[in-house]
Amino acid sequence: MIPSLDLVLLFLIVAIAIAAITVRDLLSAIMLLCAYSFLMAMVWVEMHSVDVAFTEAAVGAGASTAFLIAALSRTVRWEKK
Amino acid sequence: MMEWLIEEILAKYNYWVSIILMLIGFYAMIAKGNLIKKVIGLSIFQTAIFLFYISLGDIVGGTEPIVIEGYKGIYVNPLPHVLILTAIVVAVATLAVALALVINMYEEYGTIEEEEIIEKERELGV
Amino acid sequence: MSTEKSEVGEGEERAGDVIVETMSRLMVPFIQLFALYVIIHGAGGPGGGFQGGVIFGASFVLLVIAFGIVNAGDRFPEGANTAFMSLGVYIYAGVGLLCIILSLGAAQFLNYGFIPLTTHFEENRALGMDLVEIGIGITVMAVITSIFFNLAWKREPEEGGGEKE
Repeated sequence: MIPSLDLVLLFLIVAIAIAAITVRDLLSAIMLLCAYSFLMAMVWVEMHSVDVAFTEAAVGAGASTAFLIAALSRTVRWEKK
Repeated sequence: MMEWLIEEILAKYNYWVSIILMLIGFYAMIAKGNLIKKVIGLSIFQTAIFLFYISLGDIVGGTEPIVIEGYKGIYVNPLPHVLILTAIVVAVATLAVALALVINMYEEYGTIEEEEIIEKERELGV
Repeated sequence: MSTEKSEVGEGEERAGDVIVETMSRLMVPFIQLFALYVIIHGAGGPGGGFQGGVIFGASFVLLVIAFGIVNAGDRFPEGANTAFMSLGVYIYAGVGLLCIILSLGAAQFLNYGFIPLTTHFEENRALGMDLVEIGIGITVMAVITSIFFNLAWKREPEEGGGEKE
């Protein structure tokens, strides 16, 4: 574990998570969730759990994003306030 | 006092980040009106719990739990990895079911905002 | 209330973009090769049937996004997806039961060493694990593709309405 890299990645993850739930455009929120998953996979590689990182990069960033965009194409894109 | 603070509170920053992420996801699930935002909050909540488990298994100075011939050092604990591998599979199934429900609600009510759905149900007298 | 439709409409005929179509046609074989690598190397390193199956399904999802849901939807009938799902489960259960049958009831379910693929017990075990991973990969690939189709594509109402009545 490299503490400085770990701290930077975790700070970025918290920032992206806050951005993903505040942004009004739902497509942007889904893309931010994809970036969140990739950063989380990097944190897990850095914590020596390569298996989980591999699964997260394939499932969390690939399949989940595809499912969310597919659901968005059947509903509305903009969040109302 | 200062040493205790650094060793027990600040050095375990992974757990604090995990709690912060958990609360962000929980806030999105409760306070956001949009159903897709709620699903995104659910994903963030699940990932925070994964971060907690993986942090439990990590060891400073350890290496990946793949056997190397002649290696005398320590490996990190592989048990949380296996648990989380199963949890990721469950997470993608949960996401698919939640999205199917959201799509069906949109076709029934014409909106995915929670307040408008409640208003429509009141008009219908449910 | 405004029910605005998003850009990614369902089932409308659109001329595909040349760059997107060519790039996805180039990338899909490499993605599938990588998925097969992940499935085969699942026993000894990171990876495995589930991850490889997800990557294989993601290559189909890329094809669907690039070529439009209607054109691709005709090539992936729902019956074929269901058949692949069942085929993977049958491979998994069949390999497991083969261990019991070939050892005449001495070994447990999925005790791979008793399948006589080679002469060595340990090599039998490694090959049996690969067979099971292939079964898991086929099932996961079919399930991921099927979930994406059912989420993205509203099927024609004449089919569903006809069956209900």
